[in-house]
Amino acid sequence: MTRAILEASAVTKSYAIGSRSIPVLRGVDLSIGEGEVVALLGASGAGKSTLLHVLGLLDPPSSGRVLFEGRPVHDLPIRERASLRHRQIGFVFQFYHLIPELNALENVKLGTMMDRGLLSWMKDRRELDERARDLLRTVGLTERHTHRPSELSGGERQRVAIARALIARPKVILADEPTGNLDSETAAGVLDLLFRINREEGVAFLMVTHDERLAERCDRLIRMKDGVVVS
Amino acid sequence: MYRYFLALRYLLARPINLLGVVGIMLGVWALIVVVSIFSGFLKEVARHLQSSTADMTAINLPEGVPFDEIRAIVEADPNVAACSPRIVWQGLVHPFGDQVGRAAPPAGMSELGAATPFVSVLGIDPDLERGVTRFRDWLDVLDDPTLRVADLDAPLAMRDGLPGLVLSRQRMAEDGVVAGDRAKLTVGRMRREGGREELDFRPLACTVAGAYETSYAGFDGMNVFVHIDTMRGFLDGDARSESANEVAIRLHDTAEAANTAARLQRALAEGVAGRGASWIRVRTWAEANAGRIGNVEHQRSLMKLVLFVIMVVAAFLMYATLSMMVTEKTHDIGILTAMGASPRGVMAVFTGCGVAIAVVGAGLGVAFGCLSSIYLDSLNKFLTANFGIDLFPVRIYHLRHVPYDLDPVWISQVAGSALVVGALVAAIPAWRAARYDPLDSLRNE
Repeated sequence: MTRAILEASAVTKSYAIGSRSIPVLRGVDLSIGEGEVVALLGASGAGKSTLLHVLGLLDPPSSGRVLFEGRPVHDLPIRERASLRHRQIGFVFQFYHLIPELNALENVKLGTMMDRGLLSWMKDRRELDERARDLLRTVGLTERHTHRPSELSGGERQRVAIARALIARPKVILADEPTGNLDSETAAGVLDLLFRINREEGVAFLMVTHDERLAERCDRLIRMKDGVVVS
Repeated sequence: MYRYFLALRYLLARPINLLGVVGIMLGVWALIVVVSIFSGFLKEVARHLQSSTADMTAINLPEGVPFDEIRAIVEADPNVAACSPRIVWQGLVHPFGDQVGRAAPPAGMSELGAATPFVSVLGIDPDLERGVTRFRDWLDVLDDPTLRVADLDAPLAMRDGLPGLVLSRQRMAEDGVVAGDRAKLTVGRMRREGGREELDFRPLACTVAGAYETSYAGFDGMNVFVHIDTMRGFLDGDARSESANEVAIRLHDTAEAANTAARLQRALAEGVAGRGASWIRVRTWAEANAGRIGNVEHQRSLMKLVLFVIMVVAAFLMYATLSMMVTEKTHDIGILTAMGASPRGVMAVFTGCGVAIAVVGAGLGVAFGCLSSIYLDSLNKFLTANFGIDLFPVRIYHLRHVPYDLDPVWISQVAGSALVVGALVAAIPAWRAARYDPLDSLRNE
């Protein structure tokens, strides 16, 4: 395996419901290498999405460590975690989560605004605008820049979400069932796109999926059951 | 950058946010317009009061002290430029014999005080009075020969064997009197006879010499002028008695009026001690009119308080719309957090919405407030002339136009409060947004 980009070491996660503590992750160890595509399989309730959120620094682990490029990051101050999430980690969700008030191009460009001040963004706006347009071209949406999410199909929305995840040039993208809400033809197109991006940009992917055929196309496959990695 | 960008786009995408803008705008507009009118009214009243009175008056002077003695005491003060004697008495003006007024009273005149026959009769020495008030200017503003005083140098001289009487323009118009008509002036005074005091009313036939007009209609409605010697002869039985119950004073420096009044009060009290009972009082023009000015100031303060309620209502409106927006935007908050927004950044997006609403509302309120104040008089005249709607019946307030005074400090305070209120109100839903768990919105699709 190539150099590890994102690692989980003995990660546990429990949620309190009333006075009860419900364990969701029970000591997960895993590692994702640079440019690697890893599929995360498991039944509903196995803890896949929770693990994704912990690895994406959206949710702190109850115990254990999350390391990015070998550096523990789970207990960084909130601003540093936010900055790391923006610069190094991209997210793609099953339900796209685009901002409905913004058109496709603006949704992608929003990713360039997260850690820039007004003046800095204005200074580089032409370059950033060009990059956003390039990414939309890469995902096959050349003609749909000015369309709002409500005017796009599911597949097109997911492509916009992928372009948005790529705009900050992350080293790893965490995808939570990226094709789970698409028909098989559209899903195949989106997967082809993800694998092409992996090849061309060298971005690592950790993809939560139920789809065994998708999993077979990945470099590696991790199965989870009841909050632990089983294979 | 995303904070400004999203705040702007969220605002533009929701027309309901206009409610907050309109609310803040109305609050700021009302606070600027109403207070500017009150301030203008206050300024105008003060200016008119000042222009229709002397800088200072010494009143309740004891009987029997010659004016020359009073003058020597008063003019010894370094801040006194000139002084003039007056005999001021209450009286009635009424028609002479079976005379009937010629002109129909113009509408609204009775509101100016000219309808009542009760007046203050000011017995003055015109030559000395010109040194302390604008008496000559008050006579020189009328072109109408039926109202104008023929001889401005001797306006109160005897005419046709009767003393000259100068009435206000509005009273002459109200009563249908013209220059040269006769009028009767009845003045009452306390008469001592055999150890008893009784009120003695005495009528005096006069010839109306013409009209005067100051810029303060309230003064004009209540005052008439005769020569001081007429009053001396009438009240004392001796036109050369040199008595005066009031002295009008002009100052070199009106800013020093209060100190000068205190000095003169002491000097006069000492100077006339033992010369008869009196309640000498030296008053500046502002003190003499403190009731009128204080009343307006008090009303202005109350209006500020009442109108601020509009701002509070607007703030609640803004809170409601922003709260709805935050509730709608839980998914966006989740994705923004995933994209690298910190809770503080999320809070800034929604606080930015509130601040933008307050900035636009306050900006429009200031602009419309200033424009409304400036053009209210024109608008009022237009509405009155074309539709008979009188928004601001100026004559009730003894004014000739709708006054305003735009105070930059007050405008800044109003705009500043709107911004602070907007930011505070927006901070509550924004704080709630910042506390949302992003995973709740990402999980619960």
